Amino acid sequence: MKRLLNGALAALFLSGAGGYANESVLAETAKPEQWAIQTGDYANQRYSELDQINRDNVGDLRVAWTFSTGVLRGHEGSPLVIGDVMYVHTPFPNNIFALDLANDGKILWRYEPEQDPEVIAVMCCDTVYRGVAYADGLILSHQADTTLVALDAKTGEVKWSVKTGDPAIGETNTATVLPVGDKVIVGVSGGEYGVRGRVTAYSLADGSEVWKAYSTGPDEEMLVDPEKTTHLGKPIGKDSSLNSWEGDQWKIGGGTTWGWYSYDPDLNLIYYGTGNPSTWNPSQRPGDNKWSMTIMARDADTGMAKWFYQMTPHDEWDFDGVNEMILTEQEIDGQERKLLTHFDRNGLAYTLDRESGELLVAEKYDPAVNWTTGVDMDPNSETYGRPAVVAEYSTAQNGEDENTTGVCPAALGSKDQQPAAYSPKTQTFYVPTNHVCMDYEPFRVAYTAGQPYVGATLAMFPAPNSHGGMGNFIAWDNVEGKIKWSLPEQFSVWSGALATAGDIVFYGTLEGYLKAVDAETGEELYKFKTPSGIIGNVMTYESAGKQYIGILSGVGGWAGIGLAAGLTNPNDGLGAVGGYASLSDYTELGGQLTVFELPGEASASAEPAADPAAEPAPADGGTSG
Amino acid sequence: MKAITSLTALVLGASLAAMAPAQETTTQTPPPAEAGAGAAAAVSGAAPAAEPATDAADGGDAPAGDGAGGSAVLPNGMDVTAETEENGRWYNAEGIPTFKIDGNVVDFATFNGYRRYSAECHVCHGPDGEGSTYAPALKNSVLKMDYYAFQEIVASGKQEVNAAQNQVMPAFGTNKNVWCYVDDIYVYLLARGTGELPRGRPAERGDKSDDYTAQEDSCMSM
Repeated sequence: MKRLLNGALAALFLSGAGGYANESVLAETAKPEQWAIQTGDYANQRYSELDQINRDNVGDLRVAWTFSTGVLRGHEGSPLVIGDVMYVHTPFPNNIFALDLANDGKILWRYEPEQDPEVIAVMCCDTVYRGVAYADGLILSHQADTTLVALDAKTGEVKWSVKTGDPAIGETNTATVLPVGDKVIVGVSGGEYGVRGRVTAYSLADGSEVWKAYSTGPDEEMLVDPEKTTHLGKPIGKDSSLNSWEGDQWKIGGGTTWGWYSYDPDLNLIYYGTGNPSTWNPSQRPGDNKWSMTIMARDADTGMAKWFYQMTPHDEWDFDGVNEMILTEQEIDGQERKLLTHFDRNGLAYTLDRESGELLVAEKYDPAVNWTTGVDMDPNSETYGRPAVVAEYSTAQNGEDENTTGVCPAALGSKDQQPAAYSPKTQTFYVPTNHVCMDYEPFRVAYTAGQPYVGATLAMFPAPNSHGGMGNFIAWDNVEGKIKWSLPEQFSVWSGALATAGDIVFYGTLEGYLKAVDAETGEELYKFKTPSGIIGNVMTYESAGKQYIGILSGVGGWAGIGLAAGLTNPNDGLGAVGGYASLSDYTELGGQLTVFELPGEASASAEPAADPAAEPAPADGGTSG
Repeated sequence: MKAITSLTALVLGASLAAMAPAQETTTQTPPPAEAGAGAAAAVSGAAPAAEPATDAADGGDAPAGDGAGGSAVLPNGMDVTAETEENGRWYNAEGIPTFKIDGNVVDFATFNGYRRYSAECHVCHGPDGEGSTYAPALKNSVLKMDYYAFQEIVASGKQEVNAAQNQVMPAFGTNKNVWCYVDDIYVYLLARGTGELPRGRPAERGDKSDDYTAQEDSCMSM
């Protein structure tokens, strides 16, 4: 408690300094030849102005060089490029390599932290790590064991290091961090261990804690103002979280914060989502379980919450709300607005006004989604902003020890953390999605610190009555709330997308293909099979005047667990087992960076694109609920 | 170590409990003949020479079930034939937990093993005991290691950390959600590994007996 008070005091003093962005992050991300932050920019658009590689010549792409990471587990995130140096990270043990792009990728320095391997035992769903950040000459790495370390970007020398959590009670890290102003903002993983979610800001100068905002609990610990913090335009009121839980369940109630964060320098607000309430058995936690499953907007200097929006009150399916918030400036109803677009695990894509938190659009981005008929959009309604739950698919209404069948999407969501991209040129979002449904049977569990705290059995299978695959790559209109086109994929698309000014969009597949498609039509223009399945995010950079595309291979993560042996639909009965593809028939483990280029010198070849193989499928029935 | 000791005591306590009267809800006939050829191969420890056609649905694992003579012996020497029932769980002649499948109906403990496995184990070991990109397929592991080795690993965990890999399994000895059901998880994996139980949720299950419930309540409230 003492520490918390100190933090609050420090926040008060610092807020006097006024909001300002981190100049180095803004300056570095403004250079299109670099990839200076995991998300491309503060707005999480994953868009590059580079256009040497474009829809006319991308068919000529070839491998320029490769780099093995020496680690076998799932490789999420992407390298960064700052100046002539590329920073490549690995899953646990969270090694970092600095490669000299001016000298054939020679290793300038490497950082190989000592971590207690016991932390692996409390990491749900593989030892993934979504990459390092850069600010003020520091490489910032948040390791699996929650050690946050700042390295000198030139030498790899440790400047400071701080522990942000306790793996002994299941607190771990998989996410990248967000440098903002003179702070670095970090989250925590462990929703399947009853960890109490929070976001913490540390001083970039020395790693000291500045503020900490919990997702659940007393108002002062959540850094909310009952009168000024709003939910859909209304004050959240006193004890908003405590009143939405039974007893002390909130203390082990999840709401973890392991997604991608974004930041608006003008509003000085950070945006992120909170994860599932613990346990997965809804009967053990009556109430709305605030503020799990919530989009949060907080002041970057003080952590004080400006607005919340809870997407899935009283979750019954593990639809974590952590997916990225993509910030855009677009016209909606004839008015230029500052928008936030979010593709939630629950299968709904939300468009909000990011200044006020007003809900503008909430539509299904996979027609298979069936647990809800849609969100109540009437501001005068009692249930404004709430999804209408279909009783048949309500694991809470069906109750403990009952198997609720055929829920779409599955717990991994219509999309998980794999980030979407946005092209301002087409005003279109490009979204890697899962097309998987599930049976879900909740049952009673006991809490033991540091042990899994799940409380439900899942069986997952490809969405029935569809194309038979487990994924789609879609183009989404966030103003209309409609799918523009949808490319069926055999497996979930677990790779972050990249859109470029070359009118192309890149993504990876679990079989290991890097694909490039036309940003307008979705037409496939290029594919290449990398050594292992892709769950990393595509990035691009320019070196010596030439554009490159980089992607980490290395199958694993939640996708590698669920799909390695293939999925079966238990409702199809016997004999269906062989009907679905096993990922293990296509790929094996292995971490590798593959970097692509066009042949020849920097100027693009003008040959027409080769092999227009896959025709995009129509939007399959639209998105209405 | 303390945890393991107390848990061993817990297991002993459970198995010392009074013999349960036979259940009336599930009929207990021996498992039907299914896979003679495969079983023979499994007994000899050699690679299965002739896979029975019926096994195709399960990806071609060597089944060890053999209803003909009532014996079904795993590569590790264990006979999985269910002989006695105690507290709603089935045991072989040596008193090692095993499964009992009668037609489409699996005994409650095996069914519950499916549930517990799918909640606690599958986040690393993949659905249906099939393994993941980094964790072994436990349906195969239980054919090789014996029951006591299985218990020890579940209770104490396992580490294989070296230059090539970082594999760490946590110790579940203090986790009641796992430990109170460790025998159920074991027999479920046996049923999967022998090919007697297909992938997915078991179609039908026997009823949960009062003895099973009593023993469960006692373990979960300890």
